[in-house]
Order: sequence, then structure tokens, then C-alpha cells
Amino acid sequence: MAILTPLEQELRLIDTTLRDGEQTAGVVFARQEKMRIASLLDEIGVPAAEIGSPALGEHEQETIRAVVGLDLRLTPTAFCRAQVSEIEAAAACGVPSVVVSISTSDVHIERRFGESRAWVLDQAGAACRRARELGLQFTVSAEDASRTDLGFLSEYYNLGVSEGAERVRYCDTLGVDHAFGIFQRVRDLKKAISVPLELHMHDDFGMATANVMSGLRAGADGVAVSIGGLGERTGNASLEEVAMALKYLYGRDLGMDTTRFREAAEYVADSSSRAIPVWKTIVGTNVFAHESGIHVDGVLKNPANYEVFSPEEVGLERQLVVGKHSGSHTIYYKFKEFGIELSPEESAEILALAREMAVDLKRALFDKELMYIYRDLQKAKSRRQ
Amino acid sequence: METEGFRLPEGGITQRIYIDDTTLRDGEQTAGVVFANDEKLHIARLLAEVGVDQIEAGIPTMGGDEKDAIKAIVDLGLPISVLAWNRAVVSDIQDSIDCGVDAVAISISASDIHIQNKLRKSREWVLESVRKSCVFAKNAGLYVSVNAEDASRADLEYLLQFAENAKQSGADRMRFCDTVGVLDPFSTYERVKLISDEVGIDLEMHTHNDFGMSTANSIAGVMAGATYVNTTVNGLGERAGNAVLEEFVMALKYVFGMDLGLRSARFRELCEYVANASNRPIPTWKPITGGNLFVYESEGRASGVLRDPSTYEIFAPGDVGLQRRFVFGKYSGPSVLRQKLRQYGREMEEEQIPQLVDTLRDKSIALKRALFDEEVLQEYEDLRRLGVNIWRS
Repeated sequence: MAILTPLEQELRLIDTTLRDGEQTAGVVFARQEKMRIASLLDEIGVPAAEIGSPALGEHEQETIRAVVGLDLRLTPTAFCRAQVSEIEAAAACGVPSVVVSISTSDVHIERRFGESRAWVLDQAGAACRRARELGLQFTVSAEDASRTDLGFLSEYYNLGVSEGAERVRYCDTLGVDHAFGIFQRVRDLKKAISVPLELHMHDDFGMATANVMSGLRAGADGVAVSIGGLGERTGNASLEEVAMALKYLYGRDLGMDTTRFREAAEYVADSSSRAIPVWKTIVGTNVFAHESGIHVDGVLKNPANYEVFSPEEVGLERQLVVGKHSGSHTIYYKFKEFGIELSPEESAEILALAREMAVDLKRALFDKELMYIYRDLQKAKSRRQ
Repeated sequence: METEGFRLPEGGITQRIYIDDTTLRDGEQTAGVVFANDEKLHIARLLAEVGVDQIEAGIPTMGGDEKDAIKAIVDLGLPISVLAWNRAVVSDIQDSIDCGVDAVAISISASDIHIQNKLRKSREWVLESVRKSCVFAKNAGLYVSVNAEDASRADLEYLLQFAENAKQSGADRMRFCDTVGVLDPFSTYERVKLISDEVGIDLEMHTHNDFGMSTANSIAGVMAGATYVNTTVNGLGERAGNAVLEEFVMALKYVFGMDLGLRSARFRELCEYVANASNRPIPTWKPITGGNLFVYESEGRASGVLRDPSTYEIFAPGDVGLQRRFVFGKYSGPSVLRQKLRQYGREMEEEQIPQLVDTLRDKSIALKRALFDEEVLQEYEDLRRLGVNIWRS
């Protein structure tokens, strides 16, 4: 059941963990890791993935070939700048599909390339033509689309469409779009172009996923995501957030095996040496950890009070944590888990000691520490008797 | 449908926006996080120096230590409002009065899910509890925020009634809580606009990040007319956390062109302190203050920024207390290499650059990470001496 207005159009996710994810400063995946991540994405049910950039040279091209050789159900896609030589290198790697990308904003065209809009169209036109000649499916991507004049953006996309692009991509390269702005831009672009429009949003102001959702509400047809949101600077819209928001907020189940989200996020975290913060949306271990008395009480009465989906759905577990903000209910249920039925007085007594201990130690207590408190109390009592 | 016929509000955000930071309350309520009282004092001071308008200092009714901490914060005499959190219970508010705060938040659930499954009471009971506690607090001369917990899942008619009841009871504002983080910007806008238009009470946004949309939702609320935003440093808060102070302030400034006048150059320092005190390090990729945000590796980005930072930067690193750096990795090329050589006063013939780039890329792939500057210099020296790439397999 959707909480918000359902989204009903055809949607395609394309994962870019292996491309934009790896492009993150400091991150390098080994070939084996790339192959494993591609397999995980396939098993989860992601329909397409950007697997690398042939421009990086022989080693990368070998890796792309190796991923293509896995013969997965997902569509392996190579990322190319709008240069004929890169398109040819991609075709030589055996991918069926490429992204053709170039910046379309005046700030990039003038200050980065020192060129003109006409030059951008020339470059893109030549690259698209080569892709078509080589029998590749291709997406025409506009880097820095959010700072691009809408009229020129439509012109650029339509050039790609006329050369046979099967979809176009809007990149908020610097993460400067906001929910209402992207809504209007996507609505306007949808009127001007005849092929599916895909969003690639960055998280510089923490708004990537919200921008994706607004773009989809405006009629966008696809989203580029990455596992854990891995990507340049603050990263991209994350696979887990987009998939779970679609499912639970907009009633749109893409049929993915979400129970493997935690596993996939862990694998990517390990291979990129970037641990998953405990508070990470959807897959952080703290997302289903409840400490405060009010929340624990609410969750125990009915998980729907504080949970929108159950932890098992993303491969996590619910935890009751005992700390400074705990209430006696938590203590009672904790001990019940240990097989000990406490009286209300015992719960209250243990709670007072546990809270004091948490304040002293500046952290939540381990289960063992709770048992120590209990045993110490039992000992003290038997001595008194 | 919330988006039908949607038009951006004319003139954007025009009202004065106030920040009410709840790092010390909702932040500390995070499972596993405990601030020492000294830390609470230091965070309160930093927040005042950075320029927030109000801080939510804690929950007096928890007793003991907590009350001492709140009193001590009040005694600092900071030039900002100090607010305490309460259930809609008169004795809770008495505890707040004992602490000497000038403002209270009175919190109670507004959704049927919570009223039936958690409180196990009636809608009318909720309104009555708000009335009693609100009147009690107003009689004590306090500024009062009535918090509508789980407002996002509340029946809309009832939510309006809830807001009207708060207003009639003398509340100075109502806090709209997306307690489980299930709204998006459009649905937030719709709800907040309705309350703002129908009831006409000051509104505060309190949003959670369960689906990654807390900051965007707070902004949507502000666009719909809310004047207060309840943030936390680093977004620290229950589960996936809250709307993030740094993100909200910088998004307002750079995406919407509205400068709230906060001292953002101290954001990194503030975020580091809270990260250390909560034992939750700042991920290098954290929006606004992550250590990696102004680190450039890929050739495309690096060459752009070296020519003109505006190609890839919306604000300067110094604006948030960070620095720009270049590292050589798998995605790097001649621009990064030349920058590194310049940085260390080394020179190289232009025709030798491609060879060294290849060597360094291969080394980065072999080591599965970006290279340290020392490693770049070592390869430079080796190439000059030996003229071969030992990393080619």
C-alpha cells in the first residue's frame, strides 16, 4: 500500500557502482570485485549496470570484457565521453550498450572545454553516429544538465534521438537541483523529447533521493543509482533508498530481492574501504535499533508505530538497545529474551542502574553488562536474606 | 494528486527562517549515543557561536543528570533560546520550569496509528492533554511549541483540528513531525501549506531521514510557509537521523539564494566535535563537511577545477572549513600529475608525462587505492632514473 500518490510509469534502474562509484576519489575495485558486484546486482534483479569506462585503458577494458563474459541477465553498459575512439573501444569490449556523455552547461563548455555549444553538438553527433554504426544501443547523457539552458538541453537530446538514442540522461552533476525545480525541468523536457528520460542525481546538499522522486513524479522513466550511494564527492542516489521508497512510499515494487541489500552494501563497503555508517538509511545497523523508552514501547506494541517495513526485508535485524533513554519496558523485554521473567520492581531497579551505567560509560550497554547488573542484584539480595 | 497544477510559490522563500537545533535532544536520543554533561555544554556554546536561534537542550523529566545538564546550559546565558522537550504531561513541564528554560516543546502523537497502537487513547484525549499542558506552560510564561508527532501519517482533518486546538490553547507554534520519515517534498508541501493556510499558526519542520529525504522535506516545509526548522549537527538522530543543520543552511544559501547568516566556516569544527562526542565519525563523503568533498582524483573534474573552480564547486571549501586537495588514482591523468609536480616544485618534459601517468595508474590499480603524494614523487624519481614502468603486468 502506498503512503503517497503511486507512481505508475514504466521505470528502469541502472546501477553505476562500478563506474561513478569507482570514480570516487580514492576508490579502486579489483577485477574480481567488479565481477562479484555485477553478479550481486544481477541476483538482486537490477536490470542494467554501468560497468566501467573503456577510456581508462587496457586493464579496465579487460575488466569490462570479464564482466560481459559473466553473461548476466542485466544489460552491461560502458561509459564513454562523446569521442569516437571511446565508442570504438567500448564496442571492442563486447558491451551491447553505451552511455555517450558530454557537458552541456555553458559554464562547462566555456570554462572547462573553452569551446562552444556547436562544438558540443558536433562531438555528440559524431559519437552517436559511430555508436549506431557499430550496432550499439546508446543513452545520450548531459553532464551538468542542471546548470544547462533548457532550450539547448532539448536540442542536444533531440540530436541524440535523431541519431537513434534509445534514452536520454539528465545529470545533476553538482547536486544543485531541488525538488520543485527538477519537477518543472523534467516536466518541460518530457514534452520536448520522445524517448525515455533517465535521472542521475548527486547528493551534495543531501537531496539526491528527494530529487529523484520529484523527477519521477514529473514523468521521468529511469534512475541511475549506486549501492550505498557510492560516487564522486557525496555520491549518488542510492539503490536501496530509491528501491525502498518506490516500494513503500509510492507503491511501486520493482521486484528486486531487497533482502540482499545489506549484503550487497557490505560487500561494496568492504571493497571500497568505506564502512557503512550505522545510521545509513535503509541498510545501517542502527535503523532498526531502538533505545528511547517511548520508541521501544511503541515498537513492541506494534512495529508500525515506528517502522515502515520490517528489518528482514533488507537483511537486517531489530535490536532493543539499553542506554540512557531506555524505559522499564525495554528491560523487561530484554530479559524475557534471555529467558528471565522480571517483576515490575526488578525492571525498575535494573533500569535505574543501567541508565546510570550508560551515562558513566557514555554508551549503550552490552547484553552481557545487563546480565552482570542482574546477577549482582541477585547476589546482593541473597546476602541480605 | 499533490503535483497536479503545482506552481512554485511566487518569489521563493521570503519569510525569516529560524533554526532550532535538537542535537542535544533528538541527537542524543539516538540508540547508543550519550553525551557527557561537559560535552553538552560545549555543543551548546558552539551552536550559539555558529548562530542558531534556539537549541533543544534535553528532556528534564528523565531526571538526575539530565536536569543538571539543562540547568547548566541555561546558566551559560547564551544569546539564544533554550527549549526543553516534554510529553503532554503537566509534571513534565514542571520539571522544565525547574530547569529555568525559556521555551518548551510539548509533544504528543497526532496519527491514529500512534493514538490507537501506542497511546491506546482517543483523539479527544490527545487534544485535552495538549490543552491542559499548554495552558499550564503558558501560565508559567514559557514560549510553547506543540509537537504533532507522526503528523505525516495523521488524518488531515484531525491534523487541522490538532493545530487549531494548539493555537486556541495559546501555543506559539506547532511542530510538524515526520516521525518515521515517510514524506517526500510534494506531500510535505501539501500538508504544511494546508495547515499554514487554514490555521495560521507558526510552523516548525521536524523531519527524519529514513528514505534519505529529510533535508529536502524541511526545505519543502519552509517553501510552504514554515518558519522554524528543527535540525541536528551531522543529522544525528534516531535511526537514519534528522534534517542536517549544515545541509539545510548551505542548500538554502546556495540552491535558494537565502543566507541565514550562520558562520558556516565553523561547520567542519562543529561537526567534528559532535562526531567525536557521539562516537560517530564523519564519513568522508558526508554532504557539506565530509573530508573527501574537495578531493579531486578524476582527470575530468581535476582539469575543470584547476581551470576554474566554478566548473565543479558551488561554494569554496573554506566556506565550510575544508580544503581543496588533489590525489592521483586510477581515474587521474596529466592534470593531476602536473598539479602534484608543481606542488612539490618538480619539473618534467611534457612528452614524459603520459608515461608517468600510465605508471601511476597501474600502481593505483595494483594497490587498490589512490596514491600518497610520496608515492607519486617516488615514481617520478624512479622514472627519471630507470625509465621503465615496473607496474605493467
